[in-house]
Amino acid sequence: MRKIIVPILFLGILSQAQSIEESKDSIHFLEEVKLSRQKKLETDLKMNISVDEYLSSSENISFIKRGAYAWEPLLNNMSTERSMVTIDGMHIFGACTDKMDPVTSYVESNNLSGIDIKSGQAGNLHGSTIAGSIDLKRKNTPFGLSKKWNGAYQTGFEFNNKQVSNLGNFSYSGNKLVVDGSIAYREAENYKDGNNKEVNHSQYKKFNSSLGVAYKTSDLSSLRFDAIFDVAKDVGFPALPMDLWLSRALITSVSYKKLFEKGIIKAWDTKVYFNAIEHYMDDTKRPENLVHMDMPGWSTTYGLLSKINLKKEHYSSEIQLNAYQNLSIAEMRMYPQDRSKRTMFAYSWPWVTTSFAGLSMNNSWEISDRSQLNVGGSLGINHNRSKYVEFNWIFHPGAPQEKTRVLPSLHASYSLDINQFNFSVGGGYGHRAPSVSEGYGYYIYNSFDRYDYIGNPNLKNEISYEINASTGFKNDRLNVQAKVNYFYIENYIIGRILSMGSPMNYQSVGVKGYTSLDYATLFNFSLNADYMLMHNLHWNGTLTYARGLDNKSGNLPFIRPLSYLTSLHYQHKNFGIMTSLNGDFEQQNFSPEYGEDKTSSYIIWNASVDYAFSFNKTKLKLQVGAENILNEYYSTYADWGNIPRMGRNIFTSLQINF
Amino acid sequence: MKFIKISCALKLFNVLTLLFLFMISSCTLDMTDYEAERNDTVEEVVEFREAIVINQDNYKISIEALNGKFYKGYNEIRLKLSKNNLSISDGKFTVLPILTNEKGEHSSCPHLYYLNYNATENYYTGYVVFTEESNISNWKLYLNFSQDNKIYKIEQSIEVLKQPNMNLNMTSFTGKDGEQYIIALIAPQKPKVAENNLVAGIYKYNKIEKSETTFPDPAQFSYSEVSNFTLAIDPRMPEPSMGNHSSPNNKDLVQGNDGLYHGVVNYTMTGNWTLNFILYNQNGLIIKGTKVSTDFTPGIEGQKSELHINTLF
Repeated sequence: MRKIIVPILFLGILSQAQSIEESKDSIHFLEEVKLSRQKKLETDLKMNISVDEYLSSSENISFIKRGAYAWEPLLNNMSTERSMVTIDGMHIFGACTDKMDPVTSYVESNNLSGIDIKSGQAGNLHGSTIAGSIDLKRKNTPFGLSKKWNGAYQTGFEFNNKQVSNLGNFSYSGNKLVVDGSIAYREAENYKDGNNKEVNHSQYKKFNSSLGVAYKTSDLSSLRFDAIFDVAKDVGFPALPMDLWLSRALITSVSYKKLFEKGIIKAWDTKVYFNAIEHYMDDTKRPENLVHMDMPGWSTTYGLLSKINLKKEHYSSEIQLNAYQNLSIAEMRMYPQDRSKRTMFAYSWPWVTTSFAGLSMNNSWEISDRSQLNVGGSLGINHNRSKYVEFNWIFHPGAPQEKTRVLPSLHASYSLDINQFNFSVGGGYGHRAPSVSEGYGYYIYNSFDRYDYIGNPNLKNEISYEINASTGFKNDRLNVQAKVNYFYIENYIIGRILSMGSPMNYQSVGVKGYTSLDYATLFNFSLNADYMLMHNLHWNGTLTYARGLDNKSGNLPFIRPLSYLTSLHYQHKNFGIMTSLNGDFEQQNFSPEYGEDKTSSYIIWNASVDYAFSFNKTKLKLQVGAENILNEYYSTYADWGNIPRMGRNIFTSLQINF
Repeated sequence: MKFIKISCALKLFNVLTLLFLFMISSCTLDMTDYEAERNDTVEEVVEFREAIVINQDNYKISIEALNGKFYKGYNEIRLKLSKNNLSISDGKFTVLPILTNEKGEHSSCPHLYYLNYNATENYYTGYVVFTEESNISNWKLYLNFSQDNKIYKIEQSIEVLKQPNMNLNMTSFTGKDGEQYIIALIAPQKPKVAENNLVAGIYKYNKIEKSETTFPDPAQFSYSEVSNFTLAIDPRMPEPSMGNHSSPNNKDLVQGNDGLYHGVVNYTMTGNWTLNFILYNQNGLIIKGTKVSTDFTPGIEGQKSELHINTLF
């Protein structure tokens, strides 16, 4: 599972329009564009997957799971405050204070063409980050394909939770006009764990649709409109004391792209975007809740990004301007038992505005055929304003209503190929501003450690110093790659028990305030290998290890223990078989202070078979498989509240391409 | 053919656009208008209006109170004395409120007997802390002023209404020292989810031997502001669902230069709150009040101090 990037990149929509350059790069791009046109988000095991399942196939990503839906991706074992998740570079912020809606929950696998994951400061193109960036790439059909109409339909059924999914997408590729559309609906009931026990409140319903229309305004320029509309309803979160009643997202953008035939500037891409997210929780289906509480949240973002690609001989560069403004609002309204009495109200996000503007630059220079140097940097200005700052003053009297932060970032890496070996080393330095919850959150209940969290507007920037290295070997049959990275993070933001205040939420045991540790360190290691046993039989293996420590050598929470994946893939003509084993070792370095307990090891065995055939011009593919064949009862280190994961799950799916 | 296909695509676009609009417009929970909601619960009254006008011997006396009404609890009063529309500043006004119950027994309440004169605004100012609403018992104000070496005496019945704003509640009690005390909230009228400067008046009845004097004898009905006491505060939400929730960074009330007691109460959310008090005298001895549990006890109504005032906003 190498780098899961299917680059449709900047030449994508205009691949036919551009003058074909002789350099090997542009040919490379063209080929990839043609390939990626038919390529779908899928793993070897399963073709009908959710975005989360797809992301989990990257060794950099792990997940905090609060149920069967909307997993929170951890990049380099760091949570979403430290990473940057964007859709085509657009910033989107979830509207849920309890992270029930990571950005990845608002897209669907059939409107994406790939996911671009960058580790550490190398991911600073779209803004400031510590852990790196995850950019979800929209589908983007090129102009003037020989086959004008393309479509695909996928349907699947999973037996464990009776998940039915129907996904359809089409594209039209004219000489002047391109239209991409997709529509998807998934519905699942409660899943059953390895003891065949139903996990209540794990159902979900999700509708997603997207539309992209591009118009070629001249031979070398185009205008494109994109929209995604996503609705999730009646989504259970078994690990939380409440569910999701409704969340909706509208994600829109208009972009103008211009290519240049001559000169150092190759492409200029400018986009304005708007997205609005609303999120309404529902606690009425939980009898354990004595208090009914409404917890709606809204997040609205406007933004602009403008990118120039430069290339001259062995030098290439991208320069990007990012600007956005987000308004995050979250309310809580508690209802007394005696409903005739006054309700109780407070803001958990007191109308917090985040404005950001920054300029990023990444340069790469091919020193020789075998070596390359990448140097990049960014400088951003981050401004926060809390409209109802009096909420923040309760715990932090006199805290400023507005705060401006300067967020610099630098990174450099050098890579070298010697025969069949490759090496790279790199380093980075970067700041990030506290998130809305960390800075301005107010009594946000965390059901993992059962504390109410209070933000601190006076938090310092988190500062990361990072080194990374990788080495690999590649020949005709074997490909091995080892990567390590190490982060030293100053002013590491984390919740600490406050001696003052008392809990507000019914199930809470105390109040924690976000504070900065002097520092924390994180180490990630991954080893990846694939080996071609025969021309149609492949083996793939992954081993990852991570360690996170605070300044007193205590363990950080949500650090993945030693884990592995090994899989075999056999392909004979139209017939494919895949089987895999994956698991974690026992989590020994857990953090009781942050609500963790020891998690046992587990092994999961999966297998699937697929068969592809054609019918007239229609290509069909059938797949049957099973996950967790041994019906192991397990929960992972990052399963919120130790909720058990899904037991044996047989899945079937059919994919039609026309 | 190609053209038809484009128009197909456009049609689909239209359908999808309609679908978007439909799904966006379907109803959900509305965003709370926080400021408007606080106005609904608590009406802040800042305007002094005429409550009573008395004409006597060519003198006109106008008594103003907030909203033009008297309420149980703390009332600031402003008196204007004039003759032929000319303000008189040397009237030496005194005010004595008297409550008469159905048995004909008389009592009073904390008040400022000798009014002060505000020379810039041309009125006499003082306060009365009514301890009961008018019902079977009734209130009278006994006003004296002197002019041209003559003392004018006025007797005026007034109506004391229920205080609709719980943030201006009061309590009266007998302390461990056997004295009668009254605590009345004065500010904030309209609290916020924030740090609120809490102002209260603390008064004590000046006991005196009963003696035969002409009614009404101010010495029999004398109250004073207590000095150098401390009013310790522990605000909590009494609602069972709130599990005895409290707030941080509160400050006990101590006496300011204006004679009133000033402190800070933090309200963490809107709703019903109880201000649990312990009143300490100048020597640090408890006059009244009990410590309340600081435990978080979801599902159980919060215990209240024997000395407390409920608020709501």
